[in-house]
Amino acid sequence: MDVDTRNMTPTNLIDKIVVPGDVVLDLTKMENQTIKLGSGLRQDCDCISVLQAGKLRLSKPNKYWVESSQKRYVPSLEDTVLGIVVEHRSDNFLVDIKAPNLAFLPVLAFEGGTRRNIPKFETGTLIYARVVKANGIMNPELSCTDASGKAAEFGQLKNGYMFETSTGLARMLLSSPTCPVLEALGKKISFETAVGFNGRVWVNASSPDDVILVSNAIMRSEFLSGTQQRIMAEKLLQRLEKV
Amino acid sequence: MHVRREVIHIHLPRRSTSKCDMVGMVIERDSVGEEGDDVVTPGEFLGEATEFIAGKGAYVSPNGRSVRACLTGRRKVTAAPPGSHDNRSTIEIVGHKAHGAVPQPGSIVIARVTKVMARNASADIMCVDSKAVKEKFSGIIRQQDVRATEIDKVDMYQSFRPGDIVRALVLSLGDARAYYLSTAKNELGVVSAQSISGGTMVPISWTEMQCPLTGQIEQRKVAKVD
Repeated sequence: MDVDTRNMTPTNLIDKIVVPGDVVLDLTKMENQTIKLGSGLRQDCDCISVLQAGKLRLSKPNKYWVESSQKRYVPSLEDTVLGIVVEHRSDNFLVDIKAPNLAFLPVLAFEGGTRRNIPKFETGTLIYARVVKANGIMNPELSCTDASGKAAEFGQLKNGYMFETSTGLARMLLSSPTCPVLEALGKKISFETAVGFNGRVWVNASSPDDVILVSNAIMRSEFLSGTQQRIMAEKLLQRLEKV
Repeated sequence: MHVRREVIHIHLPRRSTSKCDMVGMVIERDSVGEEGDDVVTPGEFLGEATEFIAGKGAYVSPNGRSVRACLTGRRKVTAAPPGSHDNRSTIEIVGHKAHGAVPQPGSIVIARVTKVMARNASADIMCVDSKAVKEKFSGIIRQQDVRATEIDKVDMYQSFRPGDIVRALVLSLGDARAYYLSTAKNELGVVSAQSISGGTMVPISWTEMQCPLTGQIEQRKVAKVD
């Protein structure tokens, strides 16, 4: 490791782009502090170095992580994801969530789920579910209930249109306050969306024109700023009125 | 040089109305003296059953007429002990490579965990009773065999990780795929493991091991090694 490029103050690289190998924290300079490391960071004896390219973020007081965007999804606990059923085994469904392994969705993990009313999901069914077990070694496990056991919008998504995006765009769509493109579209069109942290978005509206317009607007908004997103959405909406 | 002729009868299934349903084949065999230096292979003819008793490494062929080898090695003939009413010599196969250890129910094995799943963990058996194996044996540690207490609350991920070396007891021959192993004793469990950072961890209790490089504590089912 090159001593010259080592950053001595912990706050130097916050909100900047970092690449694998960058040393972001030197633990010998920080004593008696507890630091929490999120994804993309690793402790290498006495320093914290970056594992994934992205933006370094700090959540006060002491949580650091790297925000990156990629097409592949790495399952993490309590993420809501959109999965596609691949197979039906005796005690769980195998669901594809764009992760390295297929996820297991137990057949009883539904509100009021018993052996008698197991849902009949065919191959290709789109499911909105929550990740309940995710470590790098075993297959991740999903559930279609929230923590208290209620259905809470989880389950099969019927009709509509699903497309795939990067994980960064999915996180932007789920951020609060509401993403500018969704807000601009929502003023003129009524539609519903389900966004999965794994880079899948489902859009449903009353007419196919609306569905196509909303999907295209979302796909185009990944690298635009807030104002640019609003302008882009408005241009698309004008096209709809002209017809 | 003594040439023996052997007739092998092969029975064909009776399908047609043909009268003849037996075909005979004649094979000529060379038996080179009674003390062989040559290496015999499984299936090879050793002697007539009327003249020899099948010892270790040999068997009597199904038609009851010849003694054949079932191991690879050298043949050895032992004369019949005086005073026994059967004065046939015994043919044995000796000098065969000592086969590697084979896990038997009740033996302690050292295995490396290969896969951890929700209800069991797979492991490759490397040593049986402190003798290394010559070929790969697969073992499975089921959730209920990981420890002796609270077996339904076992979390496989907090007991083993892929790459851990475990000491286990062979419960049974298991199914066609793997032996069933158990770590449900104090002296069984993870013997050596590497942390996420790459350092060899040090056990600190029967459920935890600590990495010397980073100080991180990881959960394992640790073996009590004296």
